[in-house]
Amino acid sequence: MNVQPLALLDRPVRLWVQGLGVAGALTLAGGLVVAPAEAWTSVLVNAFFFLSIGVGSAVFLALMYVANAGWSAAIKRVPEGLAAYVPAGAGTMLFLLLGAGTLYPWAHAAEAATLGDKTRFLNLPAFAARMVAILALWTLFSRALRARSLQQDVDGSVRHTERNVATSAVFLLVFALSFCLACFDWLMSLEPHWFSTIFGLYNIAGMLCATTCAITVATILLMRAGRLPGVTESHLHDLGKLMFGFCTLWAYMWISQYLLIWYANNPEETSYFLARSTGGWSLLFWLNLVLGWALPFLMLLPRPAKRSATNLLWASGFLLTGRWLDLYLMAAPGNSAQSPGLGVLEVAGAFAIGALFVLAVTRALSSAPLIARGDPYLTESLHHHA
Amino acid sequence: MSHKVLVGYFDSEDRLLAATRAARAANLPVHDVYTPYAVHGMEEALGLRHSRLTWVCFAAGLFGLLSAVSLQYFTSVVSWPLNVGGKPFNSAPAFVPVSFELTVLIAGLVTVAAFFLRSWVLPGVSAHALPRVTNDRFALAIATEVARFDPDEASGLMRRHGAVETELAEVAR
Repeated sequence: MNVQPLALLDRPVRLWVQGLGVAGALTLAGGLVVAPAEAWTSVLVNAFFFLSIGVGSAVFLALMYVANAGWSAAIKRVPEGLAAYVPAGAGTMLFLLLGAGTLYPWAHAAEAATLGDKTRFLNLPAFAARMVAILALWTLFSRALRARSLQQDVDGSVRHTERNVATSAVFLLVFALSFCLACFDWLMSLEPHWFSTIFGLYNIAGMLCATTCAITVATILLMRAGRLPGVTESHLHDLGKLMFGFCTLWAYMWISQYLLIWYANNPEETSYFLARSTGGWSLLFWLNLVLGWALPFLMLLPRPAKRSATNLLWASGFLLTGRWLDLYLMAAPGNSAQSPGLGVLEVAGAFAIGALFVLAVTRALSSAPLIARGDPYLTESLHHHA
Repeated sequence: MSHKVLVGYFDSEDRLLAATRAARAANLPVHDVYTPYAVHGMEEALGLRHSRLTWVCFAAGLFGLLSAVSLQYFTSVVSWPLNVGGKPFNSAPAFVPVSFELTVLIAGLVTVAAFFLRSWVLPGVSAHALPRVTNDRFALAIATEVARFDPDEASGLMRRHGAVETELAEVAR
Protein backbone atom coordinates (compact mmCIF):
# COMPACT_ATOMS: atom_id res chain seq x y z
CA MET A 1 0.00 0.00 0.00
CA ASN A 2 1.41 3.34 -1.06
CA VAL A 3 1.26 5.66 1.92
CA GLN A 4 4.04 8.04 0.91
CA PRO A 5 2.97 11.67 0.79
CA LEU A 6 3.44 12.96 -2.75
CA ALA A 7 2.69 16.15 -4.60
CA LEU A 8 -0.84 15.84 -5.99
CA LEU A 9 -0.74 18.53 -8.65
CA ASP A 10 1.62 18.17 -11.59
CA ARG A 11 3.76 21.23 -12.10
CA PRO A 12 1.93 22.48 -15.24
CA VAL A 13 -1.44 22.08 -13.52
CA ARG A 14 -0.22 23.97 -10.47
CA LEU A 15 1.09 26.76 -12.67
CA TRP A 16 -2.29 27.00 -14.40
CA VAL A 17 -4.09 27.16 -11.06
CA GLN A 18 -1.69 29.81 -9.78
CA GLY A 19 -1.97 31.78 -13.02
CA LEU A 20 -5.76 31.76 -13.04
CA GLY A 21 -5.77 32.66 -9.35
CA VAL A 22 -3.48 35.66 -9.87
CA ALA A 23 -5.44 36.77 -12.95
CA GLY A 24 -8.68 36.49 -10.96
CA ALA A 25 -7.21 38.41 -8.02
CA LEU A 26 -5.94 41.22 -10.27
CA THR A 27 -9.30 41.51 -12.06
CA LEU A 28 -11.04 41.53 -8.70
CA ALA A 29 -8.67 44.21 -7.40
CA GLY A 30 -9.51 46.36 -10.43
CA GLY A 31 -13.20 45.71 -9.79
CA LEU A 32 -12.88 46.88 -6.19
CA VAL A 33 -11.87 50.29 -7.55
CA VAL A 34 -14.27 50.52 -10.50
CA ALA A 35 -17.41 48.79 -9.17
CA PRO A 36 -16.92 48.28 -5.42
CA ALA A 37 -20.42 46.99 -4.58
CA GLU A 38 -20.36 44.22 -7.23
CA ALA A 39 -16.73 43.32 -6.51
CA TRP A 40 -17.26 43.03 -2.74
CA THR A 41 -20.37 40.92 -3.37
CA SER A 42 -18.18 38.62 -5.45
CA VAL A 43 -15.63 38.43 -2.60
CA LEU A 44 -18.39 37.61 -0.12
CA VAL A 45 -20.05 34.92 -2.25
CA ASN A 46 -16.81 33.17 -3.20
CA ALA A 47 -15.10 33.51 0.17
CA PHE A 48 -18.14 32.09 1.95
CA PHE A 49 -18.71 29.37 -0.66
CA PHE A 50 -15.22 27.91 -0.22
CA LEU A 51 -14.96 28.58 3.51
CA SER A 52 -18.25 26.78 4.15
CA ILE A 53 -16.92 23.75 2.26
CA GLY A 54 -13.83 23.85 4.47
CA VAL A 55 -15.69 24.15 7.75
CA GLY A 56 -18.34 21.76 6.42
CA SER A 57 -15.66 19.11 6.00
CA ALA A 58 -14.77 19.51 9.66
CA VAL A 59 -18.48 19.07 10.42
CA PHE A 60 -18.54 15.96 8.23
CA LEU A 61 -15.61 14.55 10.24
CA ALA A 62 -17.34 15.45 13.49
CA LEU A 63 -20.55 13.70 12.38
CA MET A 64 -18.54 10.57 11.56
CA TYR A 65 -16.79 10.70 14.95
CA VAL A 66 -19.91 11.13 17.06
CA ALA A 67 -21.70 8.42 15.08
CA ASN A 68 -18.71 6.06 15.55
CA ALA A 69 -18.89 5.56 11.78
CA GLY A 70 -16.56 2.91 10.46
CA TRP A 71 -17.08 3.16 6.72
CA SER A 72 -15.52 6.60 6.32
CA ALA A 73 -12.13 5.86 7.93
CA ALA A 74 -10.52 5.02 4.58
CA ILE A 75 -11.50 8.37 3.04
CA LYS A 76 -11.21 10.59 6.11
CA ARG A 77 -7.99 12.23 4.92
CA VAL A 78 -10.08 13.83 2.17
CA PRO A 79 -12.38 15.86 4.47
CA GLU A 80 -9.36 16.51 6.69
CA GLY A 81 -7.55 17.98 3.70
CA LEU A 82 -10.56 20.10 2.76
CA ALA A 83 -10.91 21.26 6.37
CA ALA A 84 -7.28 22.39 6.30
CA TYR A 85 -8.50 25.26 4.09
CA VAL A 86 -10.31 26.86 7.05
CA PRO A 87 -7.42 29.16 8.18
CA ALA A 88 -6.86 30.44 4.62
CA GLY A 89 -10.62 30.75 4.12
CA ALA A 90 -10.85 32.68 7.38
CA GLY A 91 -8.30 35.07 5.87
CA THR A 92 -10.53 35.69 2.84
CA MET A 93 -13.47 36.45 5.13
CA LEU A 94 -11.37 38.84 7.23
CA PHE A 95 -10.38 40.60 3.99
CA LEU A 96 -14.10 41.26 3.55
CA LEU A 97 -14.03 43.47 6.66
CA LEU A 98 -12.34 46.10 4.47
CA GLY A 99 -15.43 46.16 2.28
CA ALA A 100 -18.06 45.85 5.01
CA GLY A 101 -18.67 49.59 4.92
CA THR A 102 -19.48 49.39 1.21
CA LEU A 103 -21.37 46.14 1.25
CA TYR A 104 -23.68 46.34 4.26
CA PRO A 105 -26.48 48.93 4.28
CA TRP A 106 -26.51 49.11 8.09
CA ALA A 107 -23.00 50.59 7.90
CA HIS A 108 -24.40 53.72 6.25
CA ALA A 109 -25.73 56.34 8.65
CA ALA A 110 -28.87 57.06 6.61
CA GLU A 111 -29.91 53.40 6.47
CA ALA A 112 -28.90 52.74 10.07
CA ALA A 113 -31.28 55.46 11.23
CA THR A 114 -34.21 53.39 9.91
CA LEU A 115 -33.13 50.23 11.74
CA GLY A 116 -33.79 51.28 15.33
CA ASP A 117 -32.45 48.89 17.95
CA LYS A 118 -30.99 46.56 15.31
CA THR A 119 -27.96 48.84 15.11
CA ARG A 120 -26.90 47.73 18.59
CA PHE A 121 -26.19 44.40 16.91
CA LEU A 122 -25.45 45.53 13.36
CA ASN A 123 -22.50 47.90 13.66
CA LEU A 124 -18.96 47.55 12.39
CA PRO A 125 -17.10 46.88 15.69
CA ALA A 126 -19.60 44.25 16.81
CA PHE A 127 -19.69 42.71 13.33
CA ALA A 128 -15.88 42.46 13.20
CA ALA A 129 -15.66 41.07 16.74
CA ARG A 130 -18.24 38.36 16.00
CA MET A 131 -16.53 37.46 12.73
CA VAL A 132 -13.11 37.11 14.40
CA ALA A 133 -14.60 34.98 17.20
CA ILE A 134 -16.48 32.70 14.77
CA LEU A 135 -13.49 32.22 12.47
CA ALA A 136 -11.21 31.55 15.46
CA LEU A 137 -13.55 28.83 16.74
CA TRP A 138 -13.79 27.13 13.34
CA THR A 139 -10.01 27.24 12.86
CA LEU A 140 -9.38 25.88 16.35
CA PHE A 141 -11.76 22.93 16.08
CA SER A 142 -10.90 21.93 12.51
CA ARG A 143 -7.17 21.98 13.28
CA ALA A 144 -7.62 19.97 16.46
CA LEU A 145 -9.54 17.19 14.68
CA ARG A 146 -6.91 16.91 11.94
CA ALA A 147 -3.88 17.21 14.23
CA ARG A 148 -4.99 14.30 16.44
CA SER A 149 -5.75 12.18 13.40
CA LEU A 150 -2.25 12.80 12.00
CA GLN A 151 -0.70 12.10 15.41
CA GLN A 152 -2.58 8.78 15.43
CA ASP A 153 -0.70 7.76 12.27
CA VAL A 154 2.49 8.00 14.30
CA ASP A 155 1.57 6.34 17.58
CA GLY A 156 -1.61 4.40 16.66
CA SER A 157 -3.25 5.21 19.99
CA VAL A 158 -7.03 4.81 20.27
CA ARG A 159 -7.07 7.75 22.70
CA HIS A 160 -6.91 10.17 19.76
CA THR A 161 -10.16 8.78 18.40
CA GLU A 162 -11.79 9.00 21.83
CA ARG A 163 -10.68 12.61 22.28
CA ASN A 164 -11.84 13.47 18.76
CA VAL A 165 -15.28 12.05 19.55
CA ALA A 166 -15.54 14.35 22.58
CA THR A 167 -14.20 17.34 20.64
CA SER A 168 -16.64 16.60 17.81
CA ALA A 169 -19.65 16.60 20.12
CA VAL A 170 -18.70 20.06 21.41
CA PHE A 171 -17.83 21.27 17.91
CA LEU A 172 -21.20 20.25 16.44
CA LEU A 173 -22.99 22.35 19.05
CA VAL A 174 -20.61 25.28 18.65
CA PHE A 175 -20.80 24.99 14.87
CA ALA A 176 -24.61 24.90 14.65
CA LEU A 177 -24.90 28.12 16.66
CA SER A 178 -21.92 29.93 15.16
CA PHE A 179 -22.81 29.03 11.57
CA CYS A 180 -26.36 30.32 11.98
CA LEU A 181 -24.98 33.50 13.48
CA ALA A 182 -22.47 33.81 10.64
CA CYS A 183 -25.23 33.46 8.06
CA PHE A 184 -27.37 36.07 9.79
CA ASP A 185 -24.38 38.42 9.97
CA TRP A 186 -22.66 37.94 6.65
CA LEU A 187 -25.61 37.22 4.34
CA MET A 188 -28.96 38.08 5.87
CA SER A 189 -27.87 41.51 7.11
CA LEU A 190 -27.27 42.55 3.48
CA GLU A 191 -30.98 43.33 3.58
CA PRO A 192 -31.23 44.38 7.23
CA HIS A 193 -34.99 44.92 7.26
CA TRP A 194 -35.68 41.40 6.08
CA PHE A 195 -35.54 38.42 8.41
CA SER A 196 -36.05 34.67 8.29
CA THR A 197 -35.47 32.51 11.34
CA ILE A 198 -34.83 29.39 9.25
CA PHE A 199 -32.08 31.16 7.27
CA GLY A 200 -29.25 29.56 9.27
CA LEU A 201 -30.64 26.04 9.01
CA TYR A 202 -31.29 26.59 5.32
CA ASN A 203 -27.63 27.44 4.86
CA ILE A 204 -26.49 24.49 6.97
CA ALA A 205 -28.43 22.19 4.62
CA GLY A 206 -26.88 23.81 1.54
CA MET A 207 -23.43 23.70 3.12
CA LEU A 208 -23.72 20.01 4.03
CA CYS A 209 -24.77 19.21 0.48
CA ALA A 210 -21.94 21.20 -1.11
CA THR A 211 -19.44 19.68 1.33
CA THR A 212 -20.52 16.13 0.50
CA CYS A 213 -20.13 16.98 -3.19
CA ALA A 214 -16.64 18.41 -2.67
CA ILE A 215 -15.57 15.35 -0.65
CA THR A 216 -16.99 13.07 -3.34
CA VAL A 217 -15.26 14.91 -6.18
CA ALA A 218 -11.92 14.91 -4.34
CA THR A 219 -12.31 11.22 -3.44
CA ILE A 220 -13.09 10.24 -7.04
CA LEU A 221 -10.17 12.26 -8.43
CA LEU A 222 -7.79 10.67 -5.90
CA MET A 223 -9.21 7.21 -6.66
CA ARG A 224 -8.68 7.74 -10.38
CA ALA A 225 -5.10 8.81 -9.65
CA GLY A 226 -4.69 5.53 -7.76
CA ARG A 227 -4.03 7.30 -4.45
CA LEU A 228 -6.82 5.70 -2.43
CA PRO A 229 -6.22 1.94 -2.51
CA GLY A 230 -9.03 0.03 -0.81
CA VAL A 231 -11.65 2.69 -1.46
CA THR A 232 -14.39 1.09 -3.56
CA GLU A 233 -17.73 1.95 -5.05
CA SER A 234 -19.27 0.97 -1.71
CA HIS A 235 -17.73 4.12 -0.20
CA LEU A 236 -18.96 6.13 -3.19
CA HIS A 237 -22.40 4.63 -2.67
CA ASP A 238 -22.49 5.99 0.89
CA LEU A 239 -21.29 9.41 -0.24
CA GLY A 240 -23.96 9.31 -2.97
CA LYS A 241 -26.63 8.51 -0.40
CA LEU A 242 -25.51 11.44 1.77
CA MET A 243 -25.47 13.71 -1.29
CA PHE A 244 -28.98 12.60 -2.22
CA GLY A 245 -30.23 13.09 1.33
CA PHE A 246 -28.62 16.48 1.88
CA CYS A 247 -29.81 17.91 -1.45
CA THR A 248 -33.34 16.87 -0.54
CA LEU A 249 -32.86 18.39 2.92
CA TRP A 250 -31.87 21.63 1.21
CA ALA A 251 -35.02 21.54 -0.94
CA TYR A 252 -37.07 20.85 2.19
CA MET A 253 -35.55 23.89 3.90
CA TRP A 254 -36.06 25.93 0.73
CA ILE A 255 -39.77 25.22 0.58
CA SER A 256 -40.10 25.65 4.36
CA GLN A 257 -38.70 29.16 4.09
CA TYR A 258 -40.59 30.06 0.93
CA LEU A 259 -43.94 28.55 1.92
CA LEU A 260 -44.28 30.37 5.25
CA ILE A 261 -43.35 33.73 3.78
CA TRP A 262 -45.65 33.17 0.80
CA TYR A 263 -48.57 32.18 3.05
CA ALA A 264 -48.18 34.97 5.60
CA ASN A 265 -47.72 37.57 2.86
CA ASN A 266 -46.17 40.23 5.12
CA PRO A 267 -44.60 42.95 2.97
CA GLU A 268 -41.40 43.11 5.06
CA GLU A 269 -40.84 39.38 4.48
CA THR A 270 -42.08 38.97 0.91
CA SER A 271 -39.82 41.79 -0.34
CA TYR A 272 -36.94 39.27 -0.39
CA PHE A 273 -38.69 36.76 -2.63
CA LEU A 274 -40.42 39.40 -4.70
CA ALA A 275 -37.07 40.85 -5.75
CA ARG A 276 -35.77 37.40 -6.69
CA SER A 277 -38.72 35.64 -8.31
CA THR A 278 -39.69 38.51 -10.62
CA GLY A 279 -37.82 40.46 -13.25
CA GLY A 280 -34.24 39.74 -14.26
CA TRP A 281 -33.46 37.50 -11.29
CA SER A 282 -36.30 35.03 -11.81
CA LEU A 283 -34.46 32.84 -14.33
CA LEU A 284 -31.56 32.27 -11.90
CA PHE A 285 -34.03 31.86 -9.03
CA TRP A 286 -35.77 28.89 -10.68
CA LEU A 287 -32.53 27.53 -12.18
CA ASN A 288 -31.21 27.34 -8.61
CA LEU A 289 -34.01 24.93 -7.66
CA VAL A 290 -33.37 22.78 -10.74
CA LEU A 291 -29.59 22.58 -10.19
CA GLY A 292 -29.76 22.38 -6.41
CA TRP A 293 -32.39 19.68 -6.19
CA ALA A 294 -34.69 18.59 -9.02
CA LEU A 295 -32.06 17.42 -11.50
CA PRO A 296 -29.63 15.79 -8.99
CA PHE A 297 -32.60 14.16 -7.22
CA LEU A 298 -33.59 12.31 -10.39
CA MET A 299 -29.95 11.62 -11.29
CA LEU A 300 -29.21 10.03 -7.90
CA LEU A 301 -32.46 8.11 -7.44
CA PRO A 302 -31.49 4.64 -8.78
CA ARG A 303 -29.04 2.53 -6.78
CA PRO A 304 -26.47 2.03 -9.59
CA ALA A 305 -26.42 5.82 -10.11
CA LYS A 306 -25.03 6.32 -6.61
CA ARG A 307 -22.22 3.83 -7.30
CA SER A 308 -21.13 5.34 -10.61
CA ALA A 309 -18.19 7.73 -10.26
CA THR A 310 -19.04 9.55 -13.50
CA ASN A 311 -22.66 10.09 -12.49
CA LEU A 312 -21.59 11.33 -9.04
CA LEU A 313 -19.17 13.80 -10.64
CA TRP A 314 -21.96 15.23 -12.80
CA ALA A 315 -24.40 15.41 -9.89
CA SER A 316 -21.73 17.10 -7.73
CA GLY A 317 -21.08 19.60 -10.50
CA PHE A 318 -24.76 20.54 -10.69
CA LEU A 319 -25.13 20.69 -6.91
CA LEU A 320 -22.02 22.82 -6.39
CA THR A 321 -23.16 25.19 -9.13
CA GLY A 322 -26.58 25.27 -7.48
CA ARG A 323 -25.06 26.08 -4.08
CA TRP A 324 -22.94 28.86 -5.57
CA LEU A 325 -25.98 30.28 -7.33
CA ASP A 326 -27.92 30.01 -4.07
CA LEU A 327 -25.32 32.15 -2.27
CA TYR A 328 -25.18 34.57 -5.19
CA LEU A 329 -28.95 34.95 -5.05
CA MET A 330 -28.80 35.63 -1.30
CA ALA A 331 -26.07 38.24 -1.64
CA ALA A 332 -26.39 40.02 -4.96
CA PRO A 333 -29.98 41.28 -5.40
CA GLY A 334 -29.82 43.43 -2.25
CA ASN A 335 -26.97 45.53 -3.60
CA SER A 336 -27.34 45.33 -7.34
CA ALA A 337 -29.62 46.90 -9.89
CA GLN A 338 -32.78 45.33 -11.32
CA SER A 339 -31.05 42.48 -13.13
CA PRO A 340 -28.13 40.18 -12.40
CA GLY A 341 -24.70 41.48 -13.31
CA LEU A 342 -23.38 37.93 -13.32
CA GLY A 343 -20.15 38.24 -15.24
CA VAL A 344 -16.46 39.02 -15.10
CA LEU A 345 -16.23 39.95 -11.43
CA GLU A 346 -18.04 36.85 -10.18
CA VAL A 347 -15.84 34.59 -12.30
CA ALA A 348 -12.72 36.49 -11.22
CA GLY A 349 -13.65 36.03 -7.56
CA ALA A 350 -14.29 32.33 -8.10
CA PHE A 351 -10.87 31.95 -9.80
CA ALA A 352 -8.98 33.94 -7.18
CA ILE A 353 -10.45 32.26 -4.09
CA GLY A 354 -10.97 28.91 -5.84
CA ALA A 355 -7.25 28.80 -6.71
CA LEU A 356 -6.37 29.51 -3.08
CA PHE A 357 -8.74 26.71 -2.08
CA VAL A 358 -7.26 24.19 -4.54
CA LEU A 359 -3.67 25.04 -3.58
CA ALA A 360 -4.35 24.92 0.18
CA VAL A 361 -6.26 21.64 -0.07
CA THR A 362 -3.77 19.84 -2.33
CA ARG A 363 -0.95 21.05 -0.09
CA ALA A 364 -2.68 19.59 2.97
CA LEU A 365 -3.52 16.35 1.14
CA SER A 366 0.10 16.01 0.00
CA SER A 367 1.52 16.62 3.45
CA ALA A 368 0.16 13.44 5.04
CA PRO A 369 -0.45 9.82 3.98
CA LEU A 370 -3.86 9.53 2.31
CA ILE A 371 -4.68 6.38 4.25
CA ALA A 372 -5.14 6.97 7.98
CA ARG A 373 -3.26 3.83 8.96
CA GLY A 374 -3.58 4.48 12.71
CA ASP A 375 -7.37 4.74 12.67
CA PRO A 376 -8.97 1.89 14.62
CA TYR A 377 -11.84 1.79 12.10
CA LEU A 378 -9.58 1.46 9.05
CA THR A 379 -9.92 -2.32 8.76
CA GLU A 380 -13.68 -2.06 9.03
CA SER A 381 -13.71 0.66 6.40
CA LEU A 382 -11.56 -1.32 3.97
CA HIS A 383 -14.06 -4.19 4.26
CA HIS A 384 -16.98 -1.84 3.83
CA HIS A 385 -19.83 -3.23 1.80
CA ALA A 386 -22.85 -1.11 0.95
CA MET B 1 -44.81 -25.45 -2.19
CA SER B 2 -42.05 -27.12 -0.26
CA HIS B 3 -38.65 -28.23 -1.50
CA LYS B 4 -36.43 -31.10 -0.49
CA VAL B 5 -32.93 -29.79 0.04
CA LEU B 6 -29.57 -30.87 1.35
CA VAL B 7 -28.63 -28.44 4.11
CA GLY B 8 -25.12 -27.70 5.32
CA TYR B 9 -24.82 -25.88 8.64
CA PHE B 10 -21.93 -23.48 9.22
CA ASP B 11 -20.86 -21.64 12.35
CA SER B 12 -19.64 -18.40 10.75
CA GLU B 13 -20.68 -16.12 7.94
CA ASP B 14 -17.21 -16.23 6.37
CA ARG B 15 -17.38 -20.03 5.98
CA LEU B 16 -20.89 -19.76 4.59
CA LEU B 17 -19.81 -17.13 2.06
CA ALA B 18 -16.82 -19.23 0.97
CA ALA B 19 -18.98 -22.38 0.69
CA THR B 20 -21.65 -20.55 -1.30
CA ARG B 21 -19.11 -19.16 -3.76
CA ALA B 22 -17.49 -22.60 -4.10
CA ALA B 23 -20.86 -24.31 -4.60
CA ARG B 24 -21.81 -21.94 -7.39
CA ALA B 25 -18.37 -22.26 -8.93
CA ALA B 26 -18.77 -26.07 -8.86
CA ASN B 27 -22.15 -25.67 -10.57
CA LEU B 28 -24.10 -27.13 -7.63
CA PRO B 29 -27.82 -26.25 -7.66
CA VAL B 30 -27.82 -23.74 -4.78
CA HIS B 31 -31.39 -23.36 -3.52
CA ASP B 32 -30.96 -20.60 -0.94
CA VAL B 33 -29.14 -19.63 2.24
CA TYR B 34 -30.65 -19.08 5.69
CA THR B 35 -28.89 -16.76 8.12
CA PRO B 36 -29.70 -15.07 11.43
CA TYR B 37 -29.01 -11.64 9.90
CA ALA B 38 -28.25 -10.08 6.52
CA VAL B 39 -24.75 -11.21 5.49
CA HIS B 40 -22.78 -8.60 3.53
CA GLY B 41 -21.62 -9.87 0.16
CA MET B 42 -24.18 -12.68 0.07
CA GLU B 43 -26.14 -11.24 -2.85
CA GLU B 44 -23.00 -11.37 -5.00
CA ALA B 45 -22.08 -14.82 -3.70
CA LEU B 46 -25.56 -16.11 -4.57
CA GLY B 47 -25.54 -14.22 -7.87
CA LEU B 48 -28.87 -12.58 -7.06
CA ARG B 49 -30.26 -10.11 -9.55
CA HIS B 50 -30.96 -6.54 -8.50
CA SER B 51 -34.26 -6.30 -6.63
CA ARG B 52 -37.26 -5.12 -8.64
CA LEU B 53 -38.79 -3.65 -5.48
CA THR B 54 -37.25 -0.26 -6.30
CA TRP B 55 -39.47 0.00 -9.38
CA VAL B 56 -42.55 -0.81 -7.31
CA CYS B 57 -41.48 1.96 -4.92
CA PHE B 58 -40.90 4.43 -7.76
CA ALA B 59 -44.24 3.68 -9.43
CA ALA B 60 -46.09 3.91 -6.11
CA GLY B 61 -44.38 7.23 -5.34
CA LEU B 62 -45.35 8.60 -8.72
CA PHE B 63 -48.91 7.39 -8.19
CA GLY B 64 -48.95 9.05 -4.75
CA LEU B 65 -47.69 12.31 -6.19
CA LEU B 66 -50.25 12.33 -9.01
CA SER B 67 -53.14 11.43 -6.73
CA ALA B 68 -52.13 14.12 -4.22
CA VAL B 69 -51.94 16.78 -6.90
CA SER B 70 -55.24 15.77 -8.51
CA LEU B 71 -56.98 15.50 -5.14
CA GLN B 72 -55.89 18.99 -4.15
CA TYR B 73 -56.65 20.46 -7.56
CA PHE B 74 -60.11 18.92 -7.58
CA THR B 75 -61.03 19.95 -4.03
CA SER B 76 -59.60 23.46 -4.03
CA VAL B 77 -60.20 24.52 -7.64
CA VAL B 78 -63.06 22.48 -9.14
CA SER B 79 -65.32 21.19 -6.42
CA TRP B 80 -65.16 23.77 -3.61
CA PRO B 81 -63.01 26.83 -4.37
CA LEU B 82 -62.20 28.80 -1.20
CA ASN B 83 -60.49 32.14 -1.09
CA VAL B 84 -57.62 31.72 1.39
CA GLY B 85 -55.82 34.99 2.05
CA GLY B 86 -56.41 36.18 -1.51
CA LYS B 87 -54.26 33.44 -3.01
CA PRO B 88 -55.18 31.93 -6.37
CA PHE B 89 -57.27 28.75 -6.04
CA ASN B 90 -54.62 26.82 -7.94
CA SER B 91 -51.54 27.59 -5.81
CA ALA B 92 -48.62 25.24 -6.28
CA PRO B 93 -46.75 26.19 -3.04
CA ALA B 94 -49.79 25.30 -0.94
CA PHE B 95 -49.96 21.88 -2.60
CA VAL B 96 -46.33 20.97 -1.86
CA PRO B 97 -46.62 19.64 1.73
CA VAL B 98 -49.57 17.33 1.01
CA SER B 99 -48.00 16.15 -2.26
CA PHE B 100 -44.76 15.34 -0.43
CA GLU B 101 -46.51 13.48 2.38
CA LEU B 102 -48.78 11.41 0.12
CA THR B 103 -45.85 10.52 -2.16
CA VAL B 104 -43.83 9.22 0.79
CA LEU B 105 -46.81 7.53 2.47
CA ILE B 106 -48.06 5.64 -0.58
CA ALA B 107 -44.56 4.73 -1.76
CA GLY B 108 -43.72 3.39 1.71
CA LEU B 109 -46.93 1.42 2.31
CA VAL B 110 -47.08 -0.09 -1.19
CA THR B 111 -43.40 -1.11 -1.06
CA VAL B 112 -43.84 -2.89 2.27
CA ALA B 113 -47.06 -4.54 1.06
CA ALA B 114 -45.39 -5.63 -2.19
CA PHE B 115 -42.49 -7.12 -0.24
CA PHE B 116 -44.79 -9.09 2.06
CA LEU B 117 -46.87 -10.32 -0.88
CA ARG B 118 -43.92 -11.34 -3.00
CA SER B 119 -42.20 -13.17 -0.13
CA TRP B 120 -45.60 -14.52 1.02
CA VAL B 121 -45.23 -13.34 4.60
CA LEU B 122 -48.90 -13.01 5.41
CA PRO B 123 -51.20 -13.53 8.40
CA GLY B 124 -52.08 -17.22 8.70
CA VAL B 125 -49.08 -18.38 6.70
CA SER B 126 -46.59 -20.22 8.88
CA ALA B 127 -43.29 -21.75 7.96
CA HIS B 128 -40.75 -23.51 10.14
CA ALA B 129 -37.22 -22.23 10.12
CA LEU B 130 -34.33 -24.66 9.97
CA PRO B 131 -32.92 -25.34 13.46
CA ARG B 132 -30.76 -22.55 14.92
CA VAL B 133 -30.66 -20.38 11.75
CA THR B 134 -32.45 -17.66 13.69
CA ASN B 135 -29.75 -17.89 16.35
CA ASP B 136 -26.15 -18.87 15.61
CA ARG B 137 -26.14 -21.14 12.56
CA PHE B 138 -25.73 -20.30 8.89
CA ALA B 139 -27.35 -22.74 6.49
CA LEU B 140 -26.65 -23.39 2.83
CA ALA B 141 -29.38 -25.37 1.04
CA ILE B 142 -28.65 -27.33 -2.14
CA ALA B 143 -31.65 -28.33 -4.27
CA THR B 144 -32.03 -32.10 -4.53
CA GLU B 145 -34.87 -32.29 -7.02
CA VAL B 146 -32.78 -31.40 -10.06
CA ALA B 147 -30.81 -33.68 -12.37
CA ARG B 148 -27.39 -32.21 -11.65
CA PHE B 149 -27.69 -32.83 -7.89
CA ASP B 150 -25.06 -35.24 -6.60
CA PRO B 151 -25.43 -35.88 -2.82
CA ASP B 152 -21.84 -36.98 -2.26
CA GLU B 153 -20.34 -34.08 -4.18
CA ALA B 154 -22.60 -31.55 -2.43
CA SER B 155 -22.03 -32.75 1.12
CA GLY B 156 -18.32 -33.26 0.43
CA LEU B 157 -17.93 -29.70 -0.80
CA MET B 158 -19.79 -28.26 2.17
CA ARG B 159 -17.77 -30.33 4.65
CA ARG B 160 -14.56 -29.22 2.98
CA HIS B 161 -15.64 -25.62 3.56
CA GLY B 162 -16.25 -26.15 7.25
CA ALA B 163 -19.85 -27.37 7.49
CA VAL B 164 -20.39 -28.68 11.02
CA GLU B 165 -23.24 -30.87 9.83
CA THR B 166 -25.16 -31.78 6.67
CA GLU B 167 -28.64 -33.23 6.48
CA LEU B 168 -31.62 -33.65 4.18
CA ALA B 169 -34.47 -31.32 5.04
CA GLU B 170 -37.65 -29.86 3.68
CA VAL B 171 -38.05 -26.10 3.42
CA ALA B 172 -41.25 -24.21 2.68
CA ARG B 173 -39.58 -21.86 0.21
